[in-house]
Amino acid sequence: MIRKTNQIKTLEELPKSLPTVQITVPEKVYITLMEMRTRKYTLSVVEGDYVKIGQIIGERDGGYFTQPIFSTVSGTVGKVIKKFTYTGKKTECLEIINDFKEEYAERVLERTDEAISKLSKAEIIEIIKENGVKGLGGGGFPSYVKMDTDKPIDVIILNGVECEPYLTADYQAITKDAYQMFKGLEYVMQAMGTKRGIIGVKRTKHALLKALTEVKESDFKDLNCDIIPVSNYYPQGWEIELIKNTTGIKVKPGTLLSEYGIIEYNVTTAAAIYQAIKFNLPVLNRYFTVTGDAINNPCEMTVRVGTPIPHIVEAAGGYSIDGDKVMVLGGPMMGSNLMMDDAIVSITVSSLLLFKPQEYKEEPCVRCGSCVYSCPANLQPVQLMYAAKTKDGDAAKALNIQNCIECGLCSYVCTSKIHLTDFMRKAKKLVK
Amino acid sequence: MASKTGFLRKTSPYVREPKAKVEKMMYDVLIALIPVIIFTIYKYEFTAVWIILVSIVSMVGTEFLYYKLRKEPFTMKNGTALISALIYALIMPDVTPLWIVFIGGVFGMYFGKLVFGGMGANIFNVAGFARVFIVISFGAFLVYDVDTVAGATALGVVKANPFDMMILGDFNLWNMFTGVGEAGSIGELSGIAILLGGLYLAFRKSLDWRIPVSYIGTVLGLSTIAALIVGAEMTYPLFTILSGGILFGAIFMATDPITSPVTGPGRIYYGFGLGVITFFIRIFGALPEGVVFAILIMNMFVPALDYYKWANSKFTIKSTLVFSVVVLVTVGLLVVGVWQ
Repeated sequence: MIRKTNQIKTLEELPKSLPTVQITVPEKVYITLMEMRTRKYTLSVVEGDYVKIGQIIGERDGGYFTQPIFSTVSGTVGKVIKKFTYTGKKTECLEIINDFKEEYAERVLERTDEAISKLSKAEIIEIIKENGVKGLGGGGFPSYVKMDTDKPIDVIILNGVECEPYLTADYQAITKDAYQMFKGLEYVMQAMGTKRGIIGVKRTKHALLKALTEVKESDFKDLNCDIIPVSNYYPQGWEIELIKNTTGIKVKPGTLLSEYGIIEYNVTTAAAIYQAIKFNLPVLNRYFTVTGDAINNPCEMTVRVGTPIPHIVEAAGGYSIDGDKVMVLGGPMMGSNLMMDDAIVSITVSSLLLFKPQEYKEEPCVRCGSCVYSCPANLQPVQLMYAAKTKDGDAAKALNIQNCIECGLCSYVCTSKIHLTDFMRKAKKLVK
Repeated sequence: MASKTGFLRKTSPYVREPKAKVEKMMYDVLIALIPVIIFTIYKYEFTAVWIILVSIVSMVGTEFLYYKLRKEPFTMKNGTALISALIYALIMPDVTPLWIVFIGGVFGMYFGKLVFGGMGANIFNVAGFARVFIVISFGAFLVYDVDTVAGATALGVVKANPFDMMILGDFNLWNMFTGVGEAGSIGELSGIAILLGGLYLAFRKSLDWRIPVSYIGTVLGLSTIAALIVGAEMTYPLFTILSGGILFGAIFMATDPITSPVTGPGRIYYGFGLGVITFFIRIFGALPEGVVFAILIMNMFVPALDYYKWANSKFTIKSTLVFSVVVLVTVGLLVVGVWQ
């Protein structure tokens, strides 16, 4: 099909809306000790110590990414164990044995609205940093860094688009926590002295538009915030696409958003900012989606950060097939593959997908150009594939491989079923 | 609950567009060729049937033997060899002896496609390559028979003076569009059958409309300019695109994705180049017809159009400027050439 494709088809046998199931907090949670670009960690607790919910138990080290580590249950500290995480690799995790008392740490408090209105920009940034709030859309980029700028910020954009198929975490979050999102937005606008806020939601998600409008009408009449419906395509959730479609500003890939006077957060990050500022609470729970054709009961749930995957699989009725399956943390286009279910849910993970394996017969490239037409970053994946095959770093660089967001569309549309996205990753390595 | 085996290693994305298939694209071309083939057989009866059969046997047979002898999996299923064979048959003059069709088919398939590495690796359009090979080797056998009912081919007659309206008047544009009562290569006669196939392919997204539109548009534009300069009738541009193989070449040969550029702008330039070369061969060259040569010549420019230092997936200000200059130079050349 020689054309631009930006709609992702989902498996027809899966239900469009998923039931919500209750999932218990597991007996043991595992807190990742290294996330994103942190390479070191220090622990302030030892095995046998008693910890409470929201208590700081250590610090992940790594420049800008330095962040405290929190316990998400109350209980006894166990050993440091290696578990698979969203990176697809084994990472050191701290085991915490839950005592089910759900006791909150002393640092958790409640700030009054009056106290919050007096907070300065530096104080708000400090609170967000102290509570380890980071990009919950999947990026995991520390949220305070975006605010830590001297440039004037004209608009704060909340991203509620969630463009990958199957994922419903943001959908659940908006229907349930819209108030927190508006509050979080209000706090960030207060800190940055920004006059305008935008929430971008897919045009097709009427329930979300309704939920947001209702909350705005009842509680946030004075807040200058537009709820902007955007069209339904992939990758609409990419910040560059969302900013273009809500404000008309064309951001050049590789530049900082603050240069355009923009800060962009995921909607769930805004809710986390509210939790941090109002209650000094880090992110404890995540709205979660379990789906795919290799799981018995595709469903939605609220999962405690650090929950082991087998616990979630059990709550979703177990695997539906015995044979080989494909396990994905994250979305079907950009998620990471796990080769073992000995894995845990870390803070940025919002879904677990289990698919029956699908083999695609690869044919030689017929140069149909679908990948070139479909690439949202205006790259030429087919040419980059030749560059990767011939290890031609100069060509890869000239073809702007660094702008590739690995959205997966080139592999998705390929008429010859060539795994182009893999070649894009190889080409990226040539340039580094 | 935890199981240590049974999880496959994959990399994102984990889903694929189910409808995107090479085979589907190729079968669409076969379907689109049906009206042309029906018309050809209606017009030339068994002559056409034999040419088509010999062409299929020679081309598909060559590919089959090649893969059998090399003990490699045979790729007949995707239909590319069959498409090449049908197109090759349809651009034959009706008087071509069958043994020449056979030799051309074998040679074209082997040296035009298989030596390059088979499907996807060939540089030249296979059918066009085979056709040019037999024109050069056996040209004397391919003279269009002027004694048939229809008379001489439109282009053969006007070659002496491309703008002689006395002669042009002899050709009825409607007949040229429908293909009834004109002479030429067996599959190139009926504009209506070819356009039908083209519309089907465009509707199914199995061809890129950019190439035929820019190709035919370029020929229309250049012939209009030429007609204005020499003061010919304004039916001349229509005569140009309906005569010879422009429609067939633009829709079925130039759009072969394997031998055309991969970017949208590249395809526009490619179609423009095809139009310029075709038209210039017709009015300045020694041959009455230039479509197949134009396609082979532009095939050679595809790597240049795709070269990473300047190829871009979108039009840029710079590329638009360069292209505008090229268009102006082309028009200048045309004006100088026909101004007498």
